[in-house]
Amino acid sequence: MKHEVAKEQGLAVVAFSGDIDFGSSPEARRVLLDALENEGGLLVNLAAVAYIDSSGVASLIEAFQSAKGSGSRFALVAVSDAAMRVLRLAHLERVFPIFDSVADAVADAG
Amino acid sequence: MEQQAPETAVVEVRQEFSNYLELLAVVGQDFATSLDIDETIRLTLERIVNYLDAEAASLFMLENNDTEIVCRVSVGPCNIAGLRLKYGQGIVGQSISQQASLMVRDVSKDANFLRSVDEKTGFTTRSILCAPMSLNDVHLGAVEVINKRNAEGLFAERDRDALRVLAASAALAIRNATLTKTLIAQQRLQRELELVAELQLSLLPDRREADFPVHGVNVPARTVSGDFFDFFPLPDGRICFDLGDVAGKGIQAALLMAKASSLVRCLGKSVHLPGELLGMVNREICETASRGMFVTLVVGIYDPASGHVILANAGHEPPLLLAADGSVRDFPAAAPPVGVSTDLFADNRFPEVSFDLDGGSLYIFTDGVTEGTIDDGEPLGGDGIRELLREVSPMPAVERVDEIAARFTRSDKPLHDDLTILVVQDARPDAHLLELRLPATAETLREIRDEVRTVSAQAGCGEECTEEIVLAVNEACMNIIQHAYGEEGKGEIIVEIRVNDGGLEVRLTDFAAPVDPETVKPRPLEELRPGGLGTRFMSECMDEVRFVLPPPAGAGNQLWMRKRIA
Repeated sequence: MKHEVAKEQGLAVVAFSGDIDFGSSPEARRVLLDALENEGGLLVNLAAVAYIDSSGVASLIEAFQSAKGSGSRFALVAVSDAAMRVLRLAHLERVFPIFDSVADAVADAG
Repeated sequence: MEQQAPETAVVEVRQEFSNYLELLAVVGQDFATSLDIDETIRLTLERIVNYLDAEAASLFMLENNDTEIVCRVSVGPCNIAGLRLKYGQGIVGQSISQQASLMVRDVSKDANFLRSVDEKTGFTTRSILCAPMSLNDVHLGAVEVINKRNAEGLFAERDRDALRVLAASAALAIRNATLTKTLIAQQRLQRELELVAELQLSLLPDRREADFPVHGVNVPARTVSGDFFDFFPLPDGRICFDLGDVAGKGIQAALLMAKASSLVRCLGKSVHLPGELLGMVNREICETASRGMFVTLVVGIYDPASGHVILANAGHEPPLLLAADGSVRDFPAAAPPVGVSTDLFADNRFPEVSFDLDGGSLYIFTDGVTEGTIDDGEPLGGDGIRELLREVSPMPAVERVDEIAARFTRSDKPLHDDLTILVVQDARPDAHLLELRLPATAETLREIRDEVRTVSAQAGCGEECTEEIVLAVNEACMNIIQHAYGEEGKGEIIVEIRVNDGGLEVRLTDFAAPVDPETVKPRPLEELRPGGLGTRFMSECMDEVRFVLPPPAGAGNQLWMRKRIA
């Protein structure tokens, strides 16, 4: 798993690529929570995620709950088919706000 | 000088008492060491005759539910052994019915005296002393002594007392001898039963290696069994198998079991058509079995190369085919049991069915299984057996039959009936698509996912199906790493994947301490907690997920999952 962190209109945009699995999810978790801490909101770009398992989903849930707790924004953007399949299995596709692109998410926020 | 007479009397009494004690001791000794009770009774009667200075003595026993009194042994000038009197008849009869020692000093004046005996023997009875024999209110008979030899020909009170004690001693000896005889007879019978059981055991086939397609188990409810099973290879590589249940129990059933089982084995070597074989066995049993005896019997032939089965069922409980996908098919009897009638089928062939095991297992069992009660004391029943078969299905076949038998024998309750079960499994070598043995670490998950993805696609799974299998295997491996090995974190995982009957079967084995399957049940989705998500994924992605319980020898835990290829 790799990740990149960017800023977009006061929001942190974390883009993951590769597999978010048992080995990498602790790192994903830390990246997400750090980004939330530094910025007023968090967009998680899952476009290049080839695989995500329950531990990766758990990291997303934790970030989502943390954002909610602090009144910050949280959204997933450009979710890959592979990641979407897993989110559906977990019935999370309606729990997480999901946008097709970072631009859409930013627009929605405005 | 006048004082001498009483002194002499005292000496005499002492002498007599000492003689009496000696007699008692000798009689007791005789009985204790007796090998032949009648001979000992005769000896005792002779000792009594001598001691009491009488002419004759006899011992009578109650017989025919205490309706008759029969002379068992007699000593004296006439042998009246075998003499039969009605209950209460004669002085001996009165002594028994009144349970009193009778002393008749002049029989001619006693209305109870039976002259007919004297008339028959030519013996003249003058006086009689008779004491009953009984033990704990059970009346056994009486000892009768005839004609005191002394001048007056009269028995004395002390004679009566002496005889009473001697009769009691005889009663005890006779009862002990009878008990011993019964015990010996019972032991002999038990030994014979054990020999029959041994013989029966020798009629059962030897246990085979785990990879052999046929396994069976037989647990007799008593020493001997009316059930049997057998299997033997045919020259063409196929395997003939049979299982039967003889009506009735005990030795009779055991003998017919031996016959039916031998007939199938003998004929089965040359007749390779189950229906025809049943026809021949039926004819043979009808000709020779005793009336009312019959055998429910299933005979089949299995081809391990193709998985094909030909089956004929004569009146037996329907065998069940547990297919690889978990569905159950039964094969009810299309003919009555063998031994009932020879006029059943024009060609003397019992109906056959044929089918493919197709990765499944065929189970044949006796009603000891369906009507038996398992751990909780509830009868298993038809649904119960199906459930039990599904439950044990992840085990190797040889362990399945043992496990099923164990369910019935674990409780203290005695078996309701003989218990016999036979399994025919499709033991064709699994085309394992994947066999991986890797260290259980987070780093190896990637490799496992890639391998599983590749073989699932090879097996014909579409992208979605493939990804679901990958996810499920990944989650299961995570569980092993996280929960089974836990903090220690060291160990290996074996991942096996095979295709079976249109489905992909995954077996994951670890070597950690056994995990309680209850703790890895999926949690409700509403709880947005990460922990239960993995098992939720497994059960959502796969059609079946279960732990193999108990796990195979040497393994810590084994998880079995299956998904239909789509």
